[in-house]
Amino acid sequence: MTFDPAKILESKRALRRDLAARPIAEKLALLDVLRARELAIRSVGQSAVAESTGILHEVPAPYHPGGKQTL
Amino acid sequence: MNIRDVIQTINQMQADGVIERYAVGGAVGATFYLEPVATLDVDIFVSFKPEAGSVIVSPQRIYDYLTARGGTVQGEYIVISGWPVQFLPPASPLGEEALAQAVEKEVAGTSVRVFTAEHLAAIALQTGRAKDKARLLQFIEAGVLDPARFQAVLARHGLTAAWRRFEQQFLHDQP
Repeated sequence: MTFDPAKILESKRALRRDLAARPIAEKLALLDVLRARELAIRSVGQSAVAESTGILHEVPAPYHPGGKQTL
Repeated sequence: MNIRDVIQTINQMQADGVIERYAVGGAVGATFYLEPVATLDVDIFVSFKPEAGSVIVSPQRIYDYLTARGGTVQGEYIVISGWPVQFLPPASPLGEEALAQAVEKEVAGTSVRVFTAEHLAAIALQTGRAKDKARLLQFIEAGVLDPARFQAVLARHGLTAAWRRFEQQFLHDQP
């Protein structure tokens, strides 16, 4: 454990390298987990907005894009 | 929810002659070269051919095939094994080249066609949203791009000036 910014940055790069080097089957399984987590976080955020009164919230973009621009 | 099931379904669809050539792009395609990054959908690039007697290019055959096998349509997506999948025609000469030159990879015994790292990076540069620029930086930092091949793709598709601007903005201004 260190508070040296250079070491912190290097450790982050090392973690990313380690993740990138994992077998593709493992990385795709991680995508499954990440997506499930992302959806869970979004649903909590949306219900929190629904329960609140009189407080301004920024609502995340709905997940049902009609005209997605991709490539 | 299992992305490998999505790949197997698409391979089967290809084997059944519904599509000719496909390739995985987007964040899932990038995961073949980089660390995984959360994404909500799967982008599958396919060449669409007009149906007999029609000049209109339509993904209807794909939708019919997949809904008959349990897929559900949600807007422009079709949900397979819990993943929203979007079938996209190549939107530019770069996309067409990426599809034509896609490489075959293997996922635990299942083959899958994926855009090359150089094409994914060039497409990210061309698309140019914030998340695309972040992805391009990931490709560069990971050192997975063949520099000569990448520059050749950029030159073929008129992206050299955009690349210079990107370099100036993100790679030359480092503290």
